[in-house]
Amino acid sequence: MIVPPEKTAVFICHCSGNISEHVDIKAVKAALKAEGISVFDYEYLCSSPGQDLIKSKIEEKGLEKVVIGSCTPSKHGLLFKKCVREAGLNRAMLEIANLREQCAWVHPDTAEATEKAITLLRGKLKRLDRGEPLQDIKVDIFPRALVIGGGIAGITAALNLADNGVSTYLVEKDSSIGGQMAKIGKIFSPDKLAEECAMCSLSPLMNEVAAHPKITLLTRTEVEAVRGSAGKFKVMLRTRPGYVRDTCTACGRCNRVCPVLVENEFNCGHKDKKAISMRFSQSIPKTYSIDPDHCLQLNGVPCGKCAEACRTEAIDFGQQEEVLELNFGAIIAATGFKEYDASLKPQYGYGIFENVLTQMELARMLGINGPTKGKLARLSDTCNLDAGNSNPGNSTTDFSNAPTTDPSNAPTTDPSNSPTNAPINAPTNDFTPNSPESSSLKEKLSDPPVPGRIVMIQCVGSRDEKAGGIPYCSRYCCMAALKHASLIRKKYPDTEITICYIDMRAFGFYENYYRAVQEMGVSFVRGRPAEVIRKSDKSLIVRVEDTLNQKILELPADLVVLSAAMLPSTGTRVIAGVLNVSQDETGFIKERHSKLKPVDSSVDGIFVCGTAQGPKDITDTIAQAGLAAARARAFIADSPKVLEHELARINQLTCTRCGDCLSCPFDALSFSESGRVVVDPLVCTGCGYCTEICEKGAVQVAGFTKSQLKSEIEGVLEAGDLLGFVNSGISSLTCDNIGNSVLSYPSNVKLVKVSTCLVVDKELIMHAFRHGAASVLFVEDPPDNPRAEVIFPLALRHFEKLKEELGADGSRLHFKKAYVPNTKGLAGTFTSLAREGEMNGDMVR
Amino acid sequence: MKPIENVPDRKLLLFKSCMVSQEYPGIESATGYAFDRLGVDYFVNEEQSCCTGIGHYTDLFEGLTTAAIAARNFAVARRCGYPNITCLCSTCYAVNKEACELLNTNAEVREKVNSIFREQGMDDLVYEKGDMDPRSNFYHAVEVLLSKVDLIRENKQLDFSGVKAAAHHACHYYKVKYQDVVGNPENPQLIDDIAAACGADMVRWYEDRTLTCGMGFSQLHLNRNTSLQVTKAKLDSLKNAGVELMLHMCPNCHIQYDRYQPVIEKEFGVEYDTVHMNIGQFVALALGADPYEVCGFQTHSVPLEGFLERIGAL
Repeated sequence: MIVPPEKTAVFICHCSGNISEHVDIKAVKAALKAEGISVFDYEYLCSSPGQDLIKSKIEEKGLEKVVIGSCTPSKHGLLFKKCVREAGLNRAMLEIANLREQCAWVHPDTAEATEKAITLLRGKLKRLDRGEPLQDIKVDIFPRALVIGGGIAGITAALNLADNGVSTYLVEKDSSIGGQMAKIGKIFSPDKLAEECAMCSLSPLMNEVAAHPKITLLTRTEVEAVRGSAGKFKVMLRTRPGYVRDTCTACGRCNRVCPVLVENEFNCGHKDKKAISMRFSQSIPKTYSIDPDHCLQLNGVPCGKCAEACRTEAIDFGQQEEVLELNFGAIIAATGFKEYDASLKPQYGYGIFENVLTQMELARMLGINGPTKGKLARLSDTCNLDAGNSNPGNSTTDFSNAPTTDPSNAPTTDPSNSPTNAPINAPTNDFTPNSPESSSLKEKLSDPPVPGRIVMIQCVGSRDEKAGGIPYCSRYCCMAALKHASLIRKKYPDTEITICYIDMRAFGFYENYYRAVQEMGVSFVRGRPAEVIRKSDKSLIVRVEDTLNQKILELPADLVVLSAAMLPSTGTRVIAGVLNVSQDETGFIKERHSKLKPVDSSVDGIFVCGTAQGPKDITDTIAQAGLAAARARAFIADSPKVLEHELARINQLTCTRCGDCLSCPFDALSFSESGRVVVDPLVCTGCGYCTEICEKGAVQVAGFTKSQLKSEIEGVLEAGDLLGFVNSGISSLTCDNIGNSVLSYPSNVKLVKVSTCLVVDKELIMHAFRHGAASVLFVEDPPDNPRAEVIFPLALRHFEKLKEELGADGSRLHFKKAYVPNTKGLAGTFTSLAREGEMNGDMVR
Repeated sequence: MKPIENVPDRKLLLFKSCMVSQEYPGIESATGYAFDRLGVDYFVNEEQSCCTGIGHYTDLFEGLTTAAIAARNFAVARRCGYPNITCLCSTCYAVNKEACELLNTNAEVREKVNSIFREQGMDDLVYEKGDMDPRSNFYHAVEVLLSKVDLIRENKQLDFSGVKAAAHHACHYYKVKYQDVVGNPENPQLIDDIAAACGADMVRWYEDRTLTCGMGFSQLHLNRNTSLQVTKAKLDSLKNAGVELMLHMCPNCHIQYDRYQPVIEKEFGVEYDTVHMNIGQFVALALGADPYEVCGFQTHSVPLEGFLERIGAL
C-alpha cells in the first residue's frame, strides 16, 4: 500500500541521550527530509507528551503511515501500537526501527551509528510500502475446565474453579475420589504438634465436590485422547461400567452376600474386600461398584446374589462402557504420585520379609478403617486375617485366577450367607466373617502382640545416585516418619522407635514437630542402613553404621518401615503423553518456570498441580492446586483471547488447493468443508514452514510477507553488509541483550526480524546478495521449548537445503543458534562474519 | 546400565586369567565348551599376558605398568581381529576396563606408555586415544552366557531341578564399574538367571548377599583371620538358607570359598555341605560336558563327587 511521502512520518526518540548521544539525530533528519519524509524527534516518545505528539501529528497531517525510531519493539511495541490505534491507524501501519539496542548501544562510533540509523529507518519506510492492514485474531475460550485426578490436588483445584463460577469436570480413574490422602489415617501440619485426622479434612471436601452445582464428577473414568489446543481442547473420556445404577443407597446388603473376596488395593492388597464394594466407607460417589475381574456373574458363573439382595434394583450386569467427547477451555493435571518399588532395594527385605513395610502401608495400618482397624501389628501375626476371611475351604484366589470355577466350590456353604437369612436390618456395611473358624481367628486377631521395636529407614530410593535409585529428595518422608513415630509412641508408649536417616529435613515450621518427637524419646541414627536380616524367630535386624560415632549397630526390630521415594504415578506418565506436555527426567510434569510459571505446563491452557508436578506434602499440594485453579480460571476468563503472534494467511485466489502445506508440523492447516485450505488460529505458530512449501506463494505469514521482507532488505542493505535474519523469539531478545551488555559489533551488521528463518527463501537470499549483502546469517532459537523443539530442526534442514541450492554462493550463508546468556558469542559471530565477509563459507554454530 | 541385548557374540577374545589357568583350568575349557555349543565366535590368544591384577592389588605393580601391559593386551586383541575382550575373571574385567578409560582420558599416561613402546621398537603396540571403548569392548563371560540363556535352556542335557543353589557375584564386576552392569548393581542376578534356566532352585536373596568373598588379595595373607571370618559369614548364611551349590564368576572368589572352606571348617570347628562351581562349569555341565575332561572338577578342594552323583552327572 503505497501512499504519498507527505502521508508518512518518522518519529525519533532521544531516549534521554541513550540514542541521541550516539546517533546524530540532526543528520538523520536531514537525510530523510531530503527524501521528502517528515521527521519529528522528542526526548521521550514513550512518555504521555511523546505519545500525544505522535497522535497530534497523525491527525494534523492526516498521516497514514508511521515509523518510530526508538528502543527495541519488545519494550514499547505494544504501547506505540496502542498509540497509533487511538489515532485511527491500523497496527500494521506502524513500524519500529530499533535505534537503541541494535544501533546506538552497539556502535560506539557516531558516524557509523548515524549511518546505520538512517538505513534502519529507510528499511522500515520501505517495508511500510508493502504493509497490509492486519485484523486482530480473536479466539473464544470454551468456558469449561477439566480437572484430571480426584486426589486432594484435583479436589482442591475443582472446588476452587467451581467456587469461582467455572463449570468444571472432575475425572477420577478409581471408583471414588480421595486419592492417596484417603489412605492415610492421620496427617501432619506445620502449625500444630497434634496429628489431624485425614478423613475429617478430606471427607467434607469430597462431599462438597459431590454437591457442587458447578462440578460434574466422573469416576472410573480416564482421559483417552486430547485434540485441539488452548481454549478449545476436545477431550475423549472413557468411563468403565460399575454395574450399579445411581439408585444405589449404599445399604451394603450386596456386599454382605457377595461370595467373592478380592485383594483390596486400597488396603495395600489385603484380602478384605468383596467383588462388589465401595472403595472405602466415605467414598464419593456413595455407590457400590462391581469388580468385573472377580465377579462370578460377569465371568460366566451364575451367581447374582447381589442383585437378589438389592432392594432398589440397582445392580445392572448389562452396563456398558461409555465414551464421551467434550470441549474444555483449560485442563488441570492432578494425577499424583506412586511409591517407589522398595523391592528394588532387596537388601532391605521388602517383598522378602513380611514384617518390612513402607510408610504408606504403615499409614494405612494406622488408619482406623485400615486392615487392622488402626492397630499396630506385625504382618506375620496378622496374616491369618486374610486366611480367616477367605475361609472355609477353597482359597478365593482360585476364583480370581479362574473365574469359571464351579460356583458350588464357592465359600458360601454356610447357610447364614444365603440372601434370605442375611441380617438385612444390620445398618453396618462392615464385612463380618460368618464361618465359625473365622470367628475364632477373629478373637485371635483382636489381640495380636504389639511390635515392641520399630526401625524406620529414610531415603529408600530417594537421594540415591546408584542405578535404580532417584537423585532427588522426596520431601514428605522425614515428616511422615516423624508423624508415624509420634502416633505410635502416643498410642503404645513402650514401643521403641529408631529412625535411620541421612539428614532430617523438617523444613520451616515443621522443626517444632521434629523437636517434639525427639523429646518423646524416639531415637535417631544418622546412617543409611546396609541390610535388613531376618533371624530364625522371624525378628529382624537392621545393620547400620552410626556415622556420628562411627560404630556398626545391629538394631533389632519387630517391624521395619521404609520411607520409599515419591515417583510420578502411572497415571501422571500416561496423561503427560496424552496431553503432550513436557516432563522432567523422572516423568513428573514439568512446569514452565519454577518461580514465575510454577503451575503452567509447556502447553498453553494446561496446568499441573500436586505430586504430578513433583514430590510434595499435602499442605504444599493444596496451596499449589489453588494456584492452578486461579491460573486456569484466568485463562478461561480472558475470552475472547487476542492472539499476540502473527499467523499464516492463505491467499485463496492463488491457492491451488494442492494440499502440500497440510504437512504443517503443528497440523494447523486443513481443508474446510468447502475445500479451501484454512488455518486454525489456535494451533498456527506463524513459523512459516508452509511458506517454504507453497510453490504459488499463496501462503504467507502476516507481517512477514516476502514483499515486506524484500523491501526492508532493499532499505537497509549497503554493499559489504552482513544481513542477519533473526527469529523474533529468543534470538531477537539475545540480539537486544548484546546492546544491554555494552558489547559492540560492526555497523555493517544489519538485522531483520522474521517470525522464524523458515520464511526466508532462496529468492530472498539472492535478493539480499543483489542488494549488496556479503553474507547472510540465520539466527535461530535453540530447541529449548516445545515450539522451538519442532522448529529448530526444520530451520536447520531448511538452511542446509538452501546452502546446497545456492551452489557457490552457499558459502555466504551461515547459521547460528542464539542462547539468551550467550550475548558475547553472538556478538563475536556478528563481528567475525562482518569482518571476514566472504572468506568463511562454513556454517557457524 | 548395560543392556543385555548389546552384549556381542562375535569377535570375542576369551581373555586368559592367571588364577583360572593356575588353579581351575576347567573354568576356561568349560566356558569354551559352552561357547562352542552356543554359537559364540571367540578366540584364545596365547600371546596375551596376565592383566597384572593380583600383582596390582597386592601393591607389586603400580598403575603405569598395569596400563602399559593392558595397552599391549589391547594391541594383541585388535591385531588378531578379536577386539571384544571377554574375561573369565572379574579382576581382569575391572583392570582392563579401568586401564582403557585411563589410556583414553589421560594423555600423560598414554604418552608415557607409548614412549616406552617406541623406545623398545614396539611401535605396533602404541595405543591411540579411542582405540578401545571401555563400555563396548569389555565383557565378562557371564554376560555372554546370559545373552544366550534361551539357547542354554533349550539345549540343556542335564536338569538341575531340585538343586538349591545361590550365586556369588564378584565385587570387581558389579562394584568397581557399577554404572556399567547388566541389571541392578545392588541386586545382580546374572548367575541366578542362567542357573534358573537350567532348572536350579535359586535362593535369590540371602543374608550378606552383597558381602565380598573376603579374599581382599593381600588381606588373605596379612589379615588372615578377618579375611576368613568374612568368608565364614557368607558360608554360614548359605548354610542357614540350605544352599548346596554356590556358583561363582571369579576365580579369586572361587579360590577363597573352595580352597578355604576346609580350612575354615577346621579352624572354626564348623561344617559345611556347600560345593562350589564356576557358572561356566555349570553351564558346560548342563550342556553335557564331562565333569573331569572339560570342567576339571578334579582340581577342586571341596569334592563334588557326591553332588555330581546325586544330579546324575556321574
